[in-house]
Amino acid sequence: MSWLDGAHGRLALLRSRKDADERFASEIRFHIDMETARLQREEGIESGEARRRALVAFGGVERHKEALRQGRGLRWLGGMSLDFRLGFRMLVKYPGLTIVGGLAMAFGIWVGAVTFELATLVAHPTLPLPGGDRVVLLRNWDASASREEPRALNDFLGWRQTLKSVTDVGAYRDVSLNLTSPDGDVRTAATAEITANAFRIAPTAPLMGRVLVPDDERAGAPPVVVLGYDVWRTRFGSDSHVVGRTVPLGETYATVVGVMPKGFGFPVSHELWTPFRPELYDQAPRAGPPIAIFGRLAPGVTLESARAELTALGQRAARDRPITHEHLQPQVGRYAYQFYEPGLSERATMFAINGFAIMLIVLVCSNVALLLFARAATRESELTVRSALGASRGRIVLQLFTEALVLGGVATAVGLAAARFGLSRWGEEFLRVNTGRLPFWFNPHLSPATVLYAIGLAVLGAAIAGVMPALKVTRGLGARLRQGTAGGGLRFGGVWTAVIITQVAATVAFPAIVMLEQRELVRIRSLDVGFAADEYLAAGLEVDVPADSATARVQSARLGASLEEMRRRVAAEPGVVGVTFADRLPRMGHPERRIEMDGSTLREVAMASIDPSYFEVLGAPILAGRSFNTGDLVPDGRAVIVDRGFVDQVLAGRNAIGRRFRFEVNPQSDQRAAEEPRPWYEIVGVVKELGMGGATERGRASGVYFPAALGSSSEAQMIVHGRGDPTTLGPRVRAIASAVDPTLRVADVQRLDKVTDPILWAIALWLRLTVLLTAIALLLSLAGIYAVLSFTVARRTREIGVRVALGASRRRVVTAIFRRPLTQVGLGVVAGTVLIAAGTVAVSGWVPDQGIDLGAAGLSLGQVALLMAYSVLMLGVCLLACVVPTRRALRVEPTEALRTE
Amino acid sequence: MLRRAQTDALRGSLDLLVFKTLSLEPMHGWGISQRVQQISDGVLEVNQGSLYPALQRLEKSGLVASDWGTSDNNRRARYYRLTASGRRALNAELESWRRFSAGLEAVLSTA
Repeated sequence: MSWLDGAHGRLALLRSRKDADERFASEIRFHIDMETARLQREEGIESGEARRRALVAFGGVERHKEALRQGRGLRWLGGMSLDFRLGFRMLVKYPGLTIVGGLAMAFGIWVGAVTFELATLVAHPTLPLPGGDRVVLLRNWDASASREEPRALNDFLGWRQTLKSVTDVGAYRDVSLNLTSPDGDVRTAATAEITANAFRIAPTAPLMGRVLVPDDERAGAPPVVVLGYDVWRTRFGSDSHVVGRTVPLGETYATVVGVMPKGFGFPVSHELWTPFRPELYDQAPRAGPPIAIFGRLAPGVTLESARAELTALGQRAARDRPITHEHLQPQVGRYAYQFYEPGLSERATMFAINGFAIMLIVLVCSNVALLLFARAATRESELTVRSALGASRGRIVLQLFTEALVLGGVATAVGLAAARFGLSRWGEEFLRVNTGRLPFWFNPHLSPATVLYAIGLAVLGAAIAGVMPALKVTRGLGARLRQGTAGGGLRFGGVWTAVIITQVAATVAFPAIVMLEQRELVRIRSLDVGFAADEYLAAGLEVDVPADSATARVQSARLGASLEEMRRRVAAEPGVVGVTFADRLPRMGHPERRIEMDGSTLREVAMASIDPSYFEVLGAPILAGRSFNTGDLVPDGRAVIVDRGFVDQVLAGRNAIGRRFRFEVNPQSDQRAAEEPRPWYEIVGVVKELGMGGATERGRASGVYFPAALGSSSEAQMIVHGRGDPTTLGPRVRAIASAVDPTLRVADVQRLDKVTDPILWAIALWLRLTVLLTAIALLLSLAGIYAVLSFTVARRTREIGVRVALGASRRRVVTAIFRRPLTQVGLGVVAGTVLIAAGTVAVSGWVPDQGIDLGAAGLSLGQVALLMAYSVLMLGVCLLACVVPTRRALRVEPTEALRTE
Repeated sequence: MLRRAQTDALRGSLDLLVFKTLSLEPMHGWGISQRVQQISDGVLEVNQGSLYPALQRLEKSGLVASDWGTSDNNRRARYYRLTASGRRALNAELESWRRFSAGLEAVLSTA
C-alpha cells in the first residue's frame, strides 16, 4: 500500500511541469489571500499593509516556488524533453536534411548491426537450448597425426559408464540416407543415428508422436524414424497421419514415430533421427564408424574439471592400451564451438570487422555533421539569442546533440528494420555460402545485444554529428554577441573542405569497385569451359565409406557395378546422348599438387579423375596423342592426359606426348608417406581446356586427367548429355538411382553451367552493397556541397549585392562563387582517380606469378575511359548542386543586399 | 554538523506537526500553517512558505495525498490528507518521540 501511495504521489507530481507549477502558484495565492484576510480581520490592518505582511510571513514567494521545482527533481529532463520536441520539429522543418542525413546514418547503423550480429554469431556462438552453455562435445585427439580420431565407439561406451563430470553422454553417427516419400520420390536426408538421450540434451516436445526412447536402441527393436519439420512438410505433404506409417529408409523400412517442430536440428542440421545401436558395429578400440560424442556438464562442474577428468582417463588408457591409445588425448569443449574455435587472430579479425563498421559510422556522421553545421549556422541568430538569455555553452551543445540524437533515433529504427529484413532474407544463405553446412544454432536474427549495439552506434553518431558542429558554432558566441553582429563569424574551415573532398573521392572511387565486381560477375558467367555446359546435367552420387578396408573393397565393387548399371539405364533414356563420370565437375575447382618433370621443374597442377569416356561425352577432341581406353584402368596404369593449359604453361608449348612427371614429396605428410614410392606418370594425350580452374581463380589452370574405374571413390559426379533442356532428365536420374541401388544417394542435381551459381550469388550481393554505398556517398556529397554553398551564398549576399551594384558582370560573380566548390570537387575527383589507380595496381599485385598480363586483373582501357566519363559526370552533378544557391545569389537586388546589415 | 542536526530536527518536528494536524481532518496549506503555529505556540519559527516544499516532499513519499476542494469561504483550495502509510509513520514518529523524551526526562530528573 505504501509503495502504491508513493508511486501515486510521485506520478501526480511528475505528470506535468506546467500543471505542478500552476497548482502550487494557485495554492500560494490562496495562502496569501487567506493570511491577508486573517490579518485584516484579526489585527485590523488595512488591506495593502496586510498583504505586505502576509508576503513577509510567507518568506519570498519565488524562492519557495524554486524550492518546489527543485524538490520535484528531474529538472534537466524537462529541458531535454523540450530539446527532443525541438529535434522532431527540426526533422519536419528540414525534410531534405532529414532524408539525406537519416538515410546515411541508417545505412551506417544497418551495416554496423548486420556485421555485429554475424560476427557475434561466429565468434560467440550460443546454443539455443536450456543450459546450452553446459552442453559439451567430447572427442579423441590423435596427437601423432594432429587430427581427430572419430572412431571412438569403444571410448564412448567406456566414458558413458565412468565419466562423473559429464552426464547424459550420448553419441551420434552422421549418415545420409535415402528416404522414399509416398509419391515414390527418393531423396537424401541428413540423418543422425543418435542415442535417445539427445532428446534430453535438446529437450523439445515433438510436433506429433514421440521422440526416440532408450527402448528403440535395444537389439531387435523395430526400426523407427523421427522426421524433421521440413521433411514432413515437403516430402509428406504435412500429412497429419504420418505417425505409424512405414517408409523405405536406406536399405530397410522404418516406422515413423514422431515429427519434430520447425527449427529443430540437433545435433547439427539434421532432418531425420534414427536410433543409434552400438551392438551393430565393431566395438574394438579405434574401430567402428566415425561418431561424435556429446554430453552435459554435471551440476557444479566446470569445463576445467571435466577436462582434468578426461585427461586422467586418457592417461590411464594410454598406459593400459598403448597400442591403440598411446597418442590419443580425450578432449572436451563447448558444443557450440565445435565447428569454429576462434583463436587470437580470428578475434582480431572480428574486432577489425566491427572496427570497420564503426569507422563507417564515424565517416558517415562526419558528413552528417557537415549538414548539421550548415543548418546550425543558419540558426546562428537563434543560438546567439539563447546564449544572451543565459543558456550556457554546454546547454546549447546539449540541445544540438539532442537534435542529432532524434535524427539518429529515427535512423536507428530504419537501420534496424532493414537489418532485420536483410538478416532474415540473406543472412542464412550468406553464412551457408561461406561456411557450407549451417548448424541449427546459427540463426541470424536481431539479438538484444545487437539492438543495444546499434543504439550505442546511434549515440556515437549523434555525438559526432551533433556535438562537433555545436562546438564549432558556439565557439566565440559570446564575442560575437559583444560585437553585436549576428553574422560573418562562422566559416567553413579546412575540416569541412577535407570532408567534402573525401566524399567526392569516395563517390568517384566506389564505382570502380562496382565495375570490378561487375567484371568478375561477367567473367565467371561467360567463362568458357570448352563445351556447351547448358546441354549437360550433373548429379552427385555417393555411398557411405565403410570403416574397414575389407568391407570397403566389397563396397567399391558394388558401387562400381551400380554406377555401370546407371550408365546403361540412363543412356537408354530417350533424349540422352551420352553419360560419363568424373570426381569433380568443371569449374568446381580441382585439387592441386606440385609435380616434378624429367628435369626439376616444379609446377602446381590441377587434377581430375575421369571415366575414359569423359572427353568423348563432353565433345572434346584429343588434340595430340590418344584418348584413354579401358586398358588404362589397370591398378598400376600410369597413363595421363594433360590439357592445353599444361602444355602452354608447364611445357612452354613443347611436345607433351611421352613426357613424364611425378608428384613432389609432400612436406606436410609424415615419415611413412615420404618413403612411399613416387611413380612416374606418362603423358599419352593432350586435350583442350575443360574448366580445370575454380570459378574465382584467375588465369589458366594446368590440368592433368587421371583415368579412374567406376567405384574407385565413394562419390562420383555423373554427367549426362541430353538433347534439349537437360533438367527434365533430373527426376528420371533420381528414379533410376533408387531403383539400381537404394543406398546410392543423389545430391545436387543441376545443369552443368549452374555450378558457379552460389559464387555468383555472393558476388551479386556484394555488388548490390557497393552500389548502395555509392548511392549514399553520392547523396551525401551532393547534400554537403549544396548545404555549404547555400550557406556561403547566404553569407555573401551583401558582397554580391555590392558587386552587382558596382556593375560587376554576372560571370564574374558566378566565378567568384563557384571557385571554392569547383576546387573542392576537382580535388575530390583527382583524389578518387588516384585511389582507383592505386587500387588497380594493388589488385594486379595480388595475382600470383603465372604469366598473366596485369591488365586482366585490373581495369581495361575501355573501363578506365568509362570511369573518366563518370568523373566528369560527377563534376557536373556536383556543380548542379550549386545551381540553386547561385541563382538565389544572382537574384539578389543590390538595394536589398545593402539593407541586410 | 550542528546546523545539519538542527535542520534535521526542525524538519522532523515540522513533519510530525503536519502529521498531527492532518490526523484530525484534511486541511489546506494555510490551515495547516495556522494550526502548526497554534500548537507550537510560536516556538517553531519557520516562515510559512517553507511548509509547501515540506508538503510536496511528504506527498512524493506517499505519506500525504492532496485533492482540490472548497474552503469555508467558498474558494478552491488544495486539501491535504494523511494516507495509510502516513498514519503509520505518525504512530512510529510519536512512539519514538515519546521514548526519546521519556529517556531525556529520566536523565534530566536524575541529574
